[in-house]
Amino acid sequence: MAVILSMTYQKKLGLPNFSSHSCSVSVTVEIPDASVAAQESSKLYVLLQTAVDNEIQQVGYMPDASTYGMKPSQNGNGSNGNVQHRPAPSSRNGDAWNCTEGQKQFIQRIVNEHQLNKDDVEATAQQLFGTGVKQLDKMQASQLIEELLEKTGQNKNGRRRWSRQPARS
Amino acid sequence: MIAAAQPLEEAPAREPTRDEVVQLLQKMVSPSRLSLFLQCRLKFFFRYVLGLKKPKTAALHVGSAVHAVLRSWNRERWLQTPLTLKQLHDEFTKAWTDTSEEPVQWEAGEEDDEKKTGWRLVETYMRESKIPPTLKPDAVEVPVEADLAEHGLPRLIGVLDLVQERRIIDFKTSSQTPNAERIAHTNEVQISSYAVLYRHNTGHRENGLELHHLVKTKNPKLVITPLPPMSDKHQSRLFTLIEGYVDGLDRRDFIPSPGLQCVSCEFFNECKAWH
Repeated sequence: MAVILSMTYQKKLGLPNFSSHSCSVSVTVEIPDASVAAQESSKLYVLLQTAVDNEIQQVGYMPDASTYGMKPSQNGNGSNGNVQHRPAPSSRNGDAWNCTEGQKQFIQRIVNEHQLNKDDVEATAQQLFGTGVKQLDKMQASQLIEELLEKTGQNKNGRRRWSRQPARS
Repeated sequence: MIAAAQPLEEAPAREPTRDEVVQLLQKMVSPSRLSLFLQCRLKFFFRYVLGLKKPKTAALHVGSAVHAVLRSWNRERWLQTPLTLKQLHDEFTKAWTDTSEEPVQWEAGEEDDEKKTGWRLVETYMRESKIPPTLKPDAVEVPVEADLAEHGLPRLIGVLDLVQERRIIDFKTSSQTPNAERIAHTNEVQISSYAVLYRHNTGHRENGLELHHLVKTKNPKLVITPLPPMSDKHQSRLFTLIEGYVDGLDRRDFIPSPGLQCVSCEFFNECKAWH
């Protein structure tokens, strides 16, 4: 009576910037009887592990973690034709800001009230943080607000933003 | 985001009542408020609840002026237009003469000496900090806040003097050389608060903290104390202290803490009259 032996070997390895990749190889063989199953399994394990280890050394494409997914052309809808086009999730689209809603509105309000050039504000963010206004984290957005207040003459020493509280901090 | 919304808020039509002030203080805590509350609740009451104003001390004015110069130096370094020593001196002079927020009560002949001391501290920092002028900071004197509601706590606010290579740096001026063994404990509230603020605002764990003490000895010196990232234990201690702050304000627990620290307290007379 023929016996079917199936085996899968899979390995998953971590990569920089919270990435990982995995490789899996499966094989199905027919063995004469169950008495040789252990011996055949052992051989197959070595064979499959060697195959996976050889392949998984090829890391392949690794995105630049500082920019990947932040531009429309890099959000998974690339131009290589391998990926079906679909709308980007809202957190990845061009309107999403990393900072808080309050910070976003405050930055927009300073820009509008003082008729600042948006390109100049964007350039300031690039100069200070090496990234665009929408990509700023909360600390960077707060720093940008300080810069804008200073530019527009509303903030002389950087500590005024707390001064309207009932008590000094 | 209060940090963002606050500057454009309209001034209240009337002075808040004492209870309203306490309620506001319960909603927002800073490291300095918390430290003062833990040091002496009556002093906290005089300063923050009653809002009693006292003239700025000479030591505080020196500290403010030095802070202002270091801020300008770091900011210009960030904008890649580092200041020359002359420009730094101009910044120092400007900061020294700015007493718009709080006047300083000088004794005869005191101001000139203190001004010289302040400038020597700045020179010492420039000479000994060894921060390359080309190294870009991550943040310079940035006001930040963290909503701790998920921990059942109020909003934490604070200002980070300097963040560089994910290290939080705080400037201090003091008359005595800091004790290396005690410094982490004596500055615990501030250190832990800054770490919490940094993590909430960047999503990253800090690489560590540094206290930069400019010591006003005969020959001024800079003492840099590197500290590790905040541990879970320290975060837990901070949250427990904040909880105690909120509960204490709830109880209107404003009793004095008589002790050696009273010698230099600006509310010494008010405290003696307390009963």
